[in-house]
Amino acid sequence: MRIPAPSPRMAYRVWRRDLRVFSKLWKGALLPTFLDPVLYLLAMGFGLGTYLASINGIPYKDFIASGLVASAAMWATAFETTFNVYFRMNEYKLYDNVLSTPVEVEDLVAGEVAWACTRALIYGTVFLLIVGLFGLIHSPWAVITPLFVVIGSACFAAIGLSFTTIVGKVDYFTYFYTLFVTPMFLFSGIFYPLDRLPQWTHVIAWFTPLYHLVLITRGLILGPDALSVLGNTLWLVAVTAALFSVPVIYMRRRLVP
Amino acid sequence: MNAVEGRRLHKAYGDLVAVDHIDFDVRQQECFGFLGPNGAGKTTTMKMIYGLAAVGDGDLRVLGLDARTQRREVKARLGVVPQEANLDWDLTVRENLVQQALYYGASTDGRVDELLALAQLSQRGESKPRELSGGMQRRMLIARALINEPELMVLDEPTTGLDPQARLAVWDLLDGLKSEGVTLILTTHYMEEAERICDRLAIMDHGKIVASGTPAELLERHEQPTLEGVFIEITGRGLRE
Repeated sequence: MRIPAPSPRMAYRVWRRDLRVFSKLWKGALLPTFLDPVLYLLAMGFGLGTYLASINGIPYKDFIASGLVASAAMWATAFETTFNVYFRMNEYKLYDNVLSTPVEVEDLVAGEVAWACTRALIYGTVFLLIVGLFGLIHSPWAVITPLFVVIGSACFAAIGLSFTTIVGKVDYFTYFYTLFVTPMFLFSGIFYPLDRLPQWTHVIAWFTPLYHLVLITRGLILGPDALSVLGNTLWLVAVTAALFSVPVIYMRRRLVP
Repeated sequence: MNAVEGRRLHKAYGDLVAVDHIDFDVRQQECFGFLGPNGAGKTTTMKMIYGLAAVGDGDLRVLGLDARTQRREVKARLGVVPQEANLDWDLTVRENLVQQALYYGASTDGRVDELLALAQLSQRGESKPRELSGGMQRRMLIARALINEPELMVLDEPTTGLDPQARLAVWDLLDGLKSEGVTLILTTHYMEEAERICDRLAIMDHGKIVASGTPAELLERHEQPTLEGVFIEITGRGLRE
């Protein structure tokens, strides 16, 4: 099914609303979210890491810090595109109002993807700075990491929005986290390389976006291999493009039947 | 040109026929009311007009535009007051209006204060919508719907759940809009409201328009002293729950 291209101007208006709300809330309610990856870094990197030898010549805390930048972005995007979108769509009926204005469903989806990426950019970049403060950045290429955080987040957002618009029941959201987000977090090579695991685990990991984003952020922070960055970026862009129409179709079915 | 023209307009959700091949015209600058019991198809008809339900079968022209293919253009010129108060609960009253203006690409210069005054909410601009009473929320919805200076206002049960004073305040607002030449379409199941503010009415039941005309015409045709009598005569006494 072909869907119309979103209007950037209309998508901006949707994005602007989310920014308006975020700029009011972040100091209070959202501050703890910034601490999440820091806790992992402290507990795993500086705690567990002191008992471990290096991985492929990289100290353990350096190894996981570079991967946690990717997961910080993933968590931010996942919450945004599941719970937050659910409440806007189903509980607050916010989208009913938005869609009564010149904004159309494809603009709304594009705006929400853009916002989820913005949020991931904020959380990912703040964590990247913290990683830098701990002295765990080893490559000047790290400065372009935020750009790739945005690309990866667009992919997470497309998946999260697809799930939310298809499932549409908040009771089932735990499945998304237990069966998809948490396994990705644990098995995408953030905490240990997949090298010594059976081949099939690589195959599964290859099909998840976090695996590719981790390879990118780790590369850029520790010393990049241009070909790997390019290949993984292509994967993320292709999957995002392929999935974008899914939330548009299902949201239209729900809100403009 | 009529403000809205429905021709053989039809809408089904699966097996459920919500609107069953209706024909109607809403003239420029009049107040047109859809009356009917719950589930008669009023809200679906309204949603097709303001773009929250896809046009099923037949034709629907709004302000001379095709509601099926020119939805964005149609919506740019409408004001919508939905049945449910779907305000932006995370923003203040004032921010709600500013953001609504942005959705339309409309100017906010002076307009926000003007609308707050119109809705008698000038003192409540910094409040959250949750802190407002039902009547205030309803007036705020009307103010929000006016942000783009619409030619046509679509109001779905604008006074349901309000106390008599709050209802009067809404009626005064609508009278004001009418005198400024804004076309109004509303749904209601208050006969008093229909008689008080509608120039013409269509009574809907089971997805069809079963009677239409001015309130006076309907009374005369059905030889009833009140619109309530006309309504019961046409739609029967059975409960619709």
